[in-house]
Amino acid sequence: FPPALQSIPRNPIVLDLADSFIDFPSIENRMKKDKKGFISRLWG
Amino acid sequence: MAPKTKEKLKAAAAPSQPPPSIEDLFTSLNRHIQRSEFTQAVKVANQVLSVAPGDEDAVRCKVVALIKADKIEDALSAIQSAQKVSFDFSFYKAYCLYRQNKLDEALELLEKQDKTQSGMLLESQILYRLGKMDSCVDICRNLQRAKIDSLEINLVAGLVSAGRASEVQGTLDAI
Repeated sequence: FPPALQSIPRNPIVLDLADSFIDFPSIENRMKKDKKGFISRLWG
Repeated sequence: MAPKTKEKLKAAAAPSQPPPSIEDLFTSLNRHIQRSEFTQAVKVANQVLSVAPGDEDAVRCKVVALIKADKIEDALSAIQSAQKVSFDFSFYKAYCLYRQNKLDEALELLEKQDKTQSGMLLESQILYRLGKMDSCVDICRNLQRAKIDSLEINLVAGLVSAGRASEVQGTLDAI
């Protein structure tokens, strides 16, 4: 004691891929820009 | 004091002006999201919620922004207080629990839900952490048809950790 140091294989890499499934909702239709687009469409 | 947005400063300078409309706030929220300014996004989402409590888009933006800002505990609180919102936050909640390493709790939550690609992917990551490599590999194999980017990295990790390194080459060749 203590036991002799020895090498160990490195752990393989695991990625957090589930993260990419957490995303913001589309809020384009809640923005003013959309309304302007509507008005300019009427004017255009 | 926290830095304020231009809109806020303008409003403060001219008290007679009406407060920003919900549309203005969503425009600002969208800009913060595009710029990955997640802490700012949370603040604006809160502004929306102070005018329109329970607004589903605002609640969802707030929860996602908190997760992206690594404020997992706050994200869980936000989910907890969003009971009336019709959006199903179960996957988000399970993901937060996974991030807090509350693996059994996360798994339990996922098992109650219908199987979705995202749920299965998260389940495979939880099983990996729990050391249940064979189950992890099984799910990754089931997900292979879903064409999830970089999934093969986790699949190989599962195989190696399961002591099935001999299957790695064949698996990679089959992709």
